[in-house]
Amino acid sequence: MADLLEMLKRLWGRIRRPKPEAAPFPEIFEQFQTLLQDHQQVMELIADLGEKSGGEYIFDRKYLVDFTNTLHTLLLRMVNSLNLMADKRYMDLYTSLDRIFQPMEAELRGRLLLSEEMPLVIGLSALPLDHPELTGGKANNLGRISQSLKLPVPNGFVITTRAYRKFLEVNRLEERIHARLEAWTAGELDTEQTSRQIQYSILAGLPPKEVAAEIRRQAARDEMYWAVRSSAYGEDGELTFAGLHETRLQVPSRKILSAYKEVLASLYSSQALIYRQRMGLLGEEAAMAVLCQETIASRTAGVIHTLDLSAPEANCLVIYASWGWGRTVVEGRAQVDRLVVEKDPPFRVSAAEIARKEIMVRPKPGGGEEEIAVPPEQQILPSLADEDVSTLVKWALSLERYFKRPQEIEWAQDDAGALWILQSRSMNIPRMTMALHGNIAEITSRYPVLIKDVGTVAHAGVGSGPVCRVDSDAKLELFPEGGVLVIKYTAPWLTPIVPKASAIVSERGSAAGHLATIAREFRVPTLVGVEGAYDRLPEGDEVTVDTKQRVIYAGRIKELLQYELVQAPAFEETQEFRQLRRLLKRIAPLHLIDPEASNFTPQGCESVHDVIRFIHEKAVNELMDLPRFLKRFKGVQIYTLSSDVPIGLKILDLEGGIDPQVQGNRVTAEHIRSLPLKALWEGVSAPGVWSTEPIPVDFKGMMSSLTKTWAESPGTMGYTGFNLAVVSRVYMNLHLRLGYHLNLVDARMHPEPQHNHIYFRFVGGVTDMTRRSRRAQLLAHILSKFHFKVDVKGDLVVARVLHLSQEEMHLRLEVLGQLIGFTRQLDIQLKSDADIPQFMESFFQQHSPDRETPSA
Amino acid sequence: MSPKKLKIMVLDDEPIVCKRLQPALEKLGYEVDTFTQSLEALHRIRDFDYDIIITDLKMKGVDGMRFLQEAKKRRPETEVIVITGFATLETAKESFQKGVFDFIAKPFKLSEIQEVVAKAAAKIQAQSG
Repeated sequence: MADLLEMLKRLWGRIRRPKPEAAPFPEIFEQFQTLLQDHQQVMELIADLGEKSGGEYIFDRKYLVDFTNTLHTLLLRMVNSLNLMADKRYMDLYTSLDRIFQPMEAELRGRLLLSEEMPLVIGLSALPLDHPELTGGKANNLGRISQSLKLPVPNGFVITTRAYRKFLEVNRLEERIHARLEAWTAGELDTEQTSRQIQYSILAGLPPKEVAAEIRRQAARDEMYWAVRSSAYGEDGELTFAGLHETRLQVPSRKILSAYKEVLASLYSSQALIYRQRMGLLGEEAAMAVLCQETIASRTAGVIHTLDLSAPEANCLVIYASWGWGRTVVEGRAQVDRLVVEKDPPFRVSAAEIARKEIMVRPKPGGGEEEIAVPPEQQILPSLADEDVSTLVKWALSLERYFKRPQEIEWAQDDAGALWILQSRSMNIPRMTMALHGNIAEITSRYPVLIKDVGTVAHAGVGSGPVCRVDSDAKLELFPEGGVLVIKYTAPWLTPIVPKASAIVSERGSAAGHLATIAREFRVPTLVGVEGAYDRLPEGDEVTVDTKQRVIYAGRIKELLQYELVQAPAFEETQEFRQLRRLLKRIAPLHLIDPEASNFTPQGCESVHDVIRFIHEKAVNELMDLPRFLKRFKGVQIYTLSSDVPIGLKILDLEGGIDPQVQGNRVTAEHIRSLPLKALWEGVSAPGVWSTEPIPVDFKGMMSSLTKTWAESPGTMGYTGFNLAVVSRVYMNLHLRLGYHLNLVDARMHPEPQHNHIYFRFVGGVTDMTRRSRRAQLLAHILSKFHFKVDVKGDLVVARVLHLSQEEMHLRLEVLGQLIGFTRQLDIQLKSDADIPQFMESFFQQHSPDRETPSA
Repeated sequence: MSPKKLKIMVLDDEPIVCKRLQPALEKLGYEVDTFTQSLEALHRIRDFDYDIIITDLKMKGVDGMRFLQEAKKRRPETEVIVITGFATLETAKESFQKGVFDFIAKPFKLSEIQEVVAKAAAKIQAQSG
């Protein structure tokens, strides 16, 4: 870099000083370089954080704090660089950073709940996930069931713990409660008195105005009845408060407020007080969220246990069912149907005990409920049809797969026959159940190992099922529930079957890729980069994939599956992982895709990713902004390259990059003396690369869309930038914008190999994400054959190669040139993943120079 | 795996580390005890022998460096693996001078620590056999 700086300084000597406010070019260029490096580092950090959420890494809170600090520092530096380049025209970005980072930092200090950002009342469909301290455990689970697993859950809303705090605040209850509790622990008040006094003051309190208004808005429909349930923090989590807190059923809309207070008051029932005291939780602030859901007037209802506690080793689940409301089942007050179903395919019903069901609970006309006799002819009929049993089994297994624990599920079937999930919570399993397994290491050692110690963990866990290899859209339909998905590439079009898979094994792809992200969202154990998986895992064979140990066994190891369910903690539910996922949500999503969109502004930046995308785009604009550039460089020679290839390339020669004999500012390829630019241009202008010959029919669609893009999109032609190469004899920094593709090549070809590098960065594209990511995969394959270290992050490809001789660098720049031409066509032509090898083949046939045999 | 189960202690004041390491190592056939308080761990090693100790460095109370020194003094054949979020060249050097088996910077991959533990176990078994 030092000699480059020297040259820039010399160049600077030749330039007349522009107006004082404009930063000098060497400075701008340096800022730009720094900015690119920072951008790169941020992209890598984001990818790292995503990978950490997959469970392969052990990290602690300190890591999250350090991470956030590092990220914040880098982002501040990037904003600073951009403002230095752009005469402080992007000062608003500092506000954007505050807006994004302050909640994250508050989060890490554990103070997020106090923030006004959090809702008092929120609909279930919009429930923020991973905030059980806000919404309570029960509601958080339901949010996941409906939002992530997309299972039918009755409509409803949550009155959050923030509303509870507000309730205490406006009624000045905090101190009163605290004083009573102190008196109780000091033995001055007995439990009953304490409970009664606290509950009384809660029931006498008035809900805060804004809370009451929100509740009324959510429960606007009058004819509706509601189930009002406690959703305390910790409930349905590691601790079980089951049964300690109140539930009010069949509550008419107008009575929700009083039911709300009753449920709140149950936080201080004498049983709840005793329980919290026994668990050592009294010192901690109790908080109650309340869940209100529309009542399902069920004709049948019941409970599923995904582990049969009476025979844990049998690997069966149990469905309990009865007529009417689920109370009869939950409270165990009457005889109910009991179905035992095998958890392995084909999910055979191994026992069906149909009981004589004499009573049922039904809604009472005008509110409330009543117990009535079941008509005699109906008493001995099974309360569930076979097809409903299959649906429930499917749901139960997917809930268990997702929550990584045996589940206790409450379900209901309405009068129209539709099934609903009312609740799902982890089962409380007595420790003795666990002793059954013996030595798990010894058991697994009896199974044949198909693949071991290969690949990267995208999501940690254990899954088992029949191998199903998917290589085309047609096979998507056929993918079985609980199958092991085996693929060659982690293509985004596989997304719809991810929730059905019990595990995913891919030959290619990275843990930072799109599919890996989806797999983590659905908590599907996933291993990527498993070379040879496709051939070693035969279609239809049962396998057990343990991505925690990176082993794939032949056969279904029931003991291991059960061991994982019962023994190993579900890391996904730990505080640290929740925190990480919440951070990720503020960091990783990219909302600002199109630079021409109206929200492409500092105010429009919602995530860290948005901010760096914005900065990068604006920094490139800044450098490429022609009028400004020309003003700055008045008197500096800028050449325009004349060529058959329609790229309007401007060249800024730092020293020795262009034939000194050239007159005027038009040059042709022969005048290029810059070694890297010369090599690259040989590739770009090689025959067939920038195809102007007649093209196959299939190609035409592509070309028309391409010309359309060029001609009609104001974003492309209206773009004030131009393609610029800053060169010297041995150096080149090149920005090429072709359509929506942005290519950046930074290269040095020094006689001494240790000074040499090529950095290639490719981003953007007109087509959908699926095709863009296919193209990224293809580029990665080709480049890695030429020994580039390639990172693919979504549709971004970054390839680097270091310290090779001039000749080797020449070859690679030529290949890059060819690829740049080639990629214009790719998005449109890559229709399926099967096209990837074919394209690679054709690329190597057409473009691989004879003197090079790419490494396999 | 030898017929005799090797005993491992995990000491880290962040519960998440213990919580995740324990099942991961148990699954490989080791017997694992975890501690989040170094003082408790110190008491424990006075009357219990561990083959392998995995410890954090920066902890409240007795810090990791002192703890591992104590552990090595009591039972030199115990292999100590250091895991730390404050990895510097100095701490690494100091750890190795005190005879630790390996030094891993946090965050680390499960497979990484499993590998190191396997190596330590192999060494112990080679020496005892």
